[in-house]
Amino acid sequence: MKISYHWLKEYIPISLKPAQLAERFSMLGLEVEGLEDLAAKYEKFVVGKVVERLKHPNADKLTLCKVDIGREVLQIVCGAPNVAPGQKVAVALVGATIPRDQHDPEGKPFVLGRAKIRGIESNGMICSEYELGLGEDTQGIMVLDQSAVVGVAFARHLGASDVIFDLEITANRGDWLSHIGIAREAQAIVKKKATLPKIRLHESSVPAAKHATIKILDPQKCRRYSCRVLRNVSIGPSPRWLQERLTAVGIRPINNVVDATNYVLMETGQPLHAFDYDTLAGHTIVVQCAKDGEKFTTLDGKERVLSSEILMICDGEKRVAVAGVMGGANTEISDRTTTVLLESANFEPSAVRRASKFLGLSTDASQRFERGVDVGMTVYAVNRVAQLLQELAGAEVLKGIIDVYPRKGRAKSVRMRIPRANTVLGTSISKQDMVSCLKRLDIRPVRQTKDAVTFAIPSCRYDLAEEIDLIEEVARIYGYDKIQTKTRTTVDFSKPLALEVLPDLLRSYLVGAGYNEMLTYSLQDRVSGHLGGEAAIEVLNPVSIEASVLRTSLIPGALKVIQNNQSHGQKDLRLFEIGNVFRLTGSTSDESLEAYNEEERLIILLSGAIASTHFSTSGRTVDFLDIKGEAEALLAKFCLDKYRFISYDNASALIESALAVEINGSYAGLLGKVTKSIAEKFDIDNDVFVVELRTSAIQSSWSAERKLKPLPRFPSVRRDLAFIVDSTTPSQAVEGAIREAGGALLSGLVLFDLYAGEQIGGGKKSLAYALEFQPRDRTLTDGEVEEIVGGIVRHVGATCRAVLRSLST
Amino acid sequence: MTEKIDNIRQQLTQQLAGVSGQAELEEARIRFLARNGLIAQLFDELRSIPPGEKPAIGKLLNALKSDAQQMYDEKKASLEQAAGPHARLLDLTLPGRPRPLGTKHPLTQTMDEIRGIFASMGFSVALGPEIESDYNNFEALNFAKDHPARDMQDTFFISRDVLLRTHTSPVQIRTMKRQRPPVREIMPGRVYRNEAINARSLVSFYQIEGLYVDRSVTFSDLKGTLAAFAHQFYGKDVRFKFRPTFFPFTEPSADMYISCFLCKGEGCRMCKFAGWLEVLGSGMVHPHVLKNVGYDAEKYTGFAFGMGIERVASLRYGVDDLRLFYENDVRFLRQF
Repeated sequence: MKISYHWLKEYIPISLKPAQLAERFSMLGLEVEGLEDLAAKYEKFVVGKVVERLKHPNADKLTLCKVDIGREVLQIVCGAPNVAPGQKVAVALVGATIPRDQHDPEGKPFVLGRAKIRGIESNGMICSEYELGLGEDTQGIMVLDQSAVVGVAFARHLGASDVIFDLEITANRGDWLSHIGIAREAQAIVKKKATLPKIRLHESSVPAAKHATIKILDPQKCRRYSCRVLRNVSIGPSPRWLQERLTAVGIRPINNVVDATNYVLMETGQPLHAFDYDTLAGHTIVVQCAKDGEKFTTLDGKERVLSSEILMICDGEKRVAVAGVMGGANTEISDRTTTVLLESANFEPSAVRRASKFLGLSTDASQRFERGVDVGMTVYAVNRVAQLLQELAGAEVLKGIIDVYPRKGRAKSVRMRIPRANTVLGTSISKQDMVSCLKRLDIRPVRQTKDAVTFAIPSCRYDLAEEIDLIEEVARIYGYDKIQTKTRTTVDFSKPLALEVLPDLLRSYLVGAGYNEMLTYSLQDRVSGHLGGEAAIEVLNPVSIEASVLRTSLIPGALKVIQNNQSHGQKDLRLFEIGNVFRLTGSTSDESLEAYNEEERLIILLSGAIASTHFSTSGRTVDFLDIKGEAEALLAKFCLDKYRFISYDNASALIESALAVEINGSYAGLLGKVTKSIAEKFDIDNDVFVVELRTSAIQSSWSAERKLKPLPRFPSVRRDLAFIVDSTTPSQAVEGAIREAGGALLSGLVLFDLYAGEQIGGGKKSLAYALEFQPRDRTLTDGEVEEIVGGIVRHVGATCRAVLRSLST
Repeated sequence: MTEKIDNIRQQLTQQLAGVSGQAELEEARIRFLARNGLIAQLFDELRSIPPGEKPAIGKLLNALKSDAQQMYDEKKASLEQAAGPHARLLDLTLPGRPRPLGTKHPLTQTMDEIRGIFASMGFSVALGPEIESDYNNFEALNFAKDHPARDMQDTFFISRDVLLRTHTSPVQIRTMKRQRPPVREIMPGRVYRNEAINARSLVSFYQIEGLYVDRSVTFSDLKGTLAAFAHQFYGKDVRFKFRPTFFPFTEPSADMYISCFLCKGEGCRMCKFAGWLEVLGSGMVHPHVLKNVGYDAEKYTGFAFGMGIERVASLRYGVDDLRLFYENDVRFLRQF
């Protein structure tokens, strides 16, 4: 929303400089995104006179001009076909910032340098309207009025000493979308009254009511419809002052009728529409909803399909406008228009919003109505346009205003309790001070008791409906900075703090174990999203196909990270992530959160060399046993002995040679090597080993509580056993058998050698274990140990068809 | 024989005393201690000693042998020591065997730190799902169905009434529905906005939300708590200010600004020459929100606040392009 400083001052006397005013606005919550100083914008632009025009010796389309700028005559190369001696022109001097570059598709600004163009020096530039940011014409230079004074600063010639505020208007303050609205807010700053200009209208003797009738058939959606009829309107360009006003706030001048309605819109915030009266069948306006599936062509030339929820302006026969959104092509003002029906209406915010959403058509008018337009402004605004058109277009204003206001209610009032306001704010502001704060915004007290005041709410303030809204206004005007900053906060540790502990511990552990934490997007492309093989959840309105499906696994995102790193030559990776994955467990048509499962997971991945290159190490790449070892260490730390691995065939499309991890007897995740074909999809050359676990499963067996087991007081005994088994026998089976037979005394079991080869014959392998026996209450005798070891050998032999290869102490 | 033993002991002592290098030491070893050395020859001679004297001479010979070995070892050690460390085989300047260096993601670090500060003020952590109902995400937070305030947050929908949460504020609703006041929670999590991805905006990012509801919690407490946070997190010298703004679920609402910590408020590229940085949004919990969760809005008041972690982290670490946080280039991750 652009507001002109000069224009604003027509409604309220302001002596603050623009920058000071901007700061004060900001502290009221009216955010100033930018200040544009038009005088500064045209620094180094002067009025010049073309005194000579010669052909450029080296280019047919260029001319060589001598331009008098008062203190000197400049040689300038010009490409415009319309340049001619005697013209007064706008000259940009070397060093000027040209607002818009004609040769740039986005029209970006650029700084003019001294240049040689086709071998001839050019000491400035004669500007087009487009380059000056004053219009859209790029075809030729802008020719100024002959009254322009050579050598005068261009800003002064334009009378451009204005400063434009670019304001960010919050969704609750529709009343700020006009100059008078901002002037009302400025009352709180300058403590002076904002006023609208008085209207002097010379009506003809012909009554408007005889020439038009208005019917509102849907008074819920149309609160008020005011209109006037103007005859003998001569359509033509607007005077310069009006064009400049509109241009300054970013509106392109079109003709006097459209410009007048836009001027009053920017002045009052009231959207207006001018119909060509002669195209209105029966000279009647009927406000009613459309029928489903009906078609209508809007001003922009697009045919639109309507619904029965959309409020339409109709004449005696047809639809002529989408109420509050856009007029129709069939009744548009043209050069031949002589009689105009001016609409100044008020429509219900949610009705306009629904229509705008349904049509996919958001206009300046619709945005204003959605936020709420002052229902009390229709009459003033239509009179103001009538006055302007009387002055600018010689219009005859028919007598009387047609104003249909079916549900005119009493002015809104809101009661505020003074102690309550102070309780919420933590202040002790007096009643008088609160009242005076609100009065500065035209919010006037109507009734008072000792502790409460009832205020009348101005009709433009849709955001003020209850007590808390007034409390906010008090705080704003009183000043947030004046409210005490209580440094004594009442810390309360009466309840134990619930902090998110386990993920933190997992992160710390993994960081200590040399992993880099990654965070990846949970919205993925369709292919990645569906890789997990589970029912993925799709977004109805994705911003791009790259982010349209919620991840069902952390693996595809991780592979993308590997791919990205690999493309930068980073192949040795140790990464982890903790994040949510999502899956559809019901039907989206249930409209229930029950249909969706959301689960936090941990992924750890290894790829490339096991360690950075060092002269003393092998530089081998990671393999399955590395990721398994990493998983074992993590599980041993967080799940003690409550986990186990289960061999898994064809577990997942993502992982091959997989093991399933079970914690406390329930499935917790998978570990293994990323399938070759999947890795290839991501152009990954190296093997990638991953483990992906549900954190809830780890949580189920994890406890921060620890109880010390007494340290052993008796010596332990070690025996080494080597068994020869079939090469297909899993080592886990041998280990299991040793543990079974070893019983409680067996406190340690480590596989320290694995051998297959000639010494033991084909189809066999040798597994050598170190066993540790730890008694709790005595020293073991040799005899006891021999007995246990003998038992183990027999049991392993029987259950695993194992032959004892060696036994040593 | 006894004389011979003494003689050899003397010779050894003399020769070792004259040794000044490895070669001479080796020469001495060969002469006395080698398999055919002088001492071994004496042992050979022992065979021809009468059996009666053998034990005494044998004892002397053994003593000589062990003394000789000891003298040799000592000399060797002293030579090595004299040669200094460079003479040893181990080059201490060689690089050590590398250990991988783990790092926490900068966004996690930022969240951890913020959470820690609020935990020290007695805030607990509450979490909620990323897939939310329209009710929890909007309606309960006082976003009316047909109000333009909904346009403030472009939403990804999964079905008509189910969406990806646009802010962590629905966790406020869940938390208050679960427990009675006092409520003092900090709510980190991932949120989603249907916006184009570029250097300044992402389709998903992290927020941390805070909520404190109790009897007589005031705007003044809001300012105090957030000022304490700003001083802890941004440094004790930062200045701050609160500016009115609009959020449907708080009233009065306030944006908190801190003096730019790079230029100390002088104006620089980071603060766009304003001298101030907007760091969080806040406000007093709207009475409608309290009513929606079944609290007595006359009895209880509260404040809420929220901040975007990517923004905080990008200011803090000087990350110009937010996408870097999600590319997970290890050359980026390893810097934190």
